[in-house]
Amino acid sequence: MTDQTIVEYGKEKGIRKQILERWSGLPEADRFALLELARGLNIGENHLRELLDWAEEISLRDGVGLYGLIKGPRIEPIWSDPRLGRADKLRRIKEEMRRLRFPRLVKLERDVQNRIRSLGLGSQIQLSVPQGLEGGALTIQLTATSVADLRKLSAELNEVLERSEIVDIFDCLNGRAMQ
Amino acid sequence: MQLYQPQEVIVETGLEHGIVFNNLKMSLPDTPFTLIKDSQLYTSKLHSSPNPLGEGKKRLLLTRHKGEFLKKCPGTEGSVCCNYFVINFASNCPMDCSYCYLQDYLAHNAALKVFGNIEDLLGEARELFSRQRGFFFRVGTGEITDSLALDSYVGFSELLVPFFAEQPNAFLELKTKSNCVDRLLRLNPKEKVVVSWSMNPPRIIEQEEHLTATFEERLAAAYDCQQAGYKLGFHLDPIIEYEGWNEDYRNMIERIFAVLDDRRIAWISMGVLRNTPNLKRIMRGRFPHSQILTGEQILCPDGKLRYFHPLRVNMYRQMLQWIREVSPTVFVYLCMESREVWEQVFGFAPTCEKELGNQMASTEFR
Repeated sequence: MTDQTIVEYGKEKGIRKQILERWSGLPEADRFALLELARGLNIGENHLRELLDWAEEISLRDGVGLYGLIKGPRIEPIWSDPRLGRADKLRRIKEEMRRLRFPRLVKLERDVQNRIRSLGLGSQIQLSVPQGLEGGALTIQLTATSVADLRKLSAELNEVLERSEIVDIFDCLNGRAMQ
Repeated sequence: MQLYQPQEVIVETGLEHGIVFNNLKMSLPDTPFTLIKDSQLYTSKLHSSPNPLGEGKKRLLLTRHKGEFLKKCPGTEGSVCCNYFVINFASNCPMDCSYCYLQDYLAHNAALKVFGNIEDLLGEARELFSRQRGFFFRVGTGEITDSLALDSYVGFSELLVPFFAEQPNAFLELKTKSNCVDRLLRLNPKEKVVVSWSMNPPRIIEQEEHLTATFEERLAAAYDCQQAGYKLGFHLDPIIEYEGWNEDYRNMIERIFAVLDDRRIAWISMGVLRNTPNLKRIMRGRFPHSQILTGEQILCPDGKLRYFHPLRVNMYRQMLQWIREVSPTVFVYLCMESREVWEQVFGFAPTCEKELGNQMASTEFR
């Protein structure tokens, strides 16, 4: 692999000059590790830019370059897993990268999801939070087919509101769980 | 603080007899002055250089402001707004904070400009204030420049402070990271001028706020202004999160209130670090080692990156608690934050922008 291969890949994918310049400015090992990943997963500009942003910021914070990340214990097993298709690999690698880049946010998101799951609600009552927890609000969606059904769900929801998991969810959303 | 020293002052013809030109000429006797007919020639040349943002700060352009001087602060979409007006007497800033939004906002207008037609500014303000006597105007000059960093040369404060001191329905906020207050100390603000400082702990000032006054210099300048009869304001903005941030910010708050009389503090604003994806790209290029690039910021609905919601709410809540421990009554508000964040930090949100603006323009200013 050479720098020309990066230029050719950029041309093939229509990647902007600005991003290619950042890519070319990486240390050699990082440059070619990213090329291997990009070619293997057929990554386009948006995914590439996001990965590059996250990798640079992780590197600045933790002192681990892109090569170290890609060949490290969090990404390498996904990259080399023969059971995963290209799209699944890309999705899971991005999830791992996001976890590395935003460790506290991802942990909090997971804590919220675990608590929602532990409430054991059926499909008619759905609790959800926004991506990135922005807004700090819990959305509750009830799906009813009749007035009686809605009454039943409303009673069920009232019971759920008494559970400690609900308080925990709001503590996650309003930052109190971070103290 | 090392006083900014332009390499050259470029003057648009027609402005060489005005008060701003005279002030510059007197205070910069060793600096070359160049007269030009069309400032566009200078700005075009500047933008063909490889680093217009850096180059733009080296020279001072005295030019004419062609639009309106007085504008409503644009705020940010979806945020609780404080109903503020801005006067742009200059554009761009001689300081060089790594996170400064002007790097993006003025990327295509990078010259450091001072506007010479100050008479137009005062005329416009006088006309607006007298046309709307029922409205109380809160006006600031620090939106696209530092209010005081150039004041030692330009002397705008000697025009603006006496002007605002006589306005029955307006007051002025001068917002700065400098300690250039010498001219202010000779004036009588008559309770109509707030001098405010953007404050950060010494570590952040040293690492990120290049060419600004140190924390202690800002505090000493604030003390001098308080003694001279000015109200004070503090903008704890941008609050930056890092390991040990809480100890540093708590110490900073305690130090401010140990030195200053909180009865003379008109307000304190809080706002976490925010930038846009494009500003971050510029920061990566200009300040590649700045650790503030690594904060856990996510994209908010208004297009700005902020620390994720629970993290920043927790930061605000802690900051508020530290402020309340040393001053239970000082007025505190959030800058560019949503109603949800207000609710979770204060337990309430202003019902409308007028409510917040009116609270700030409290009766003591009238």
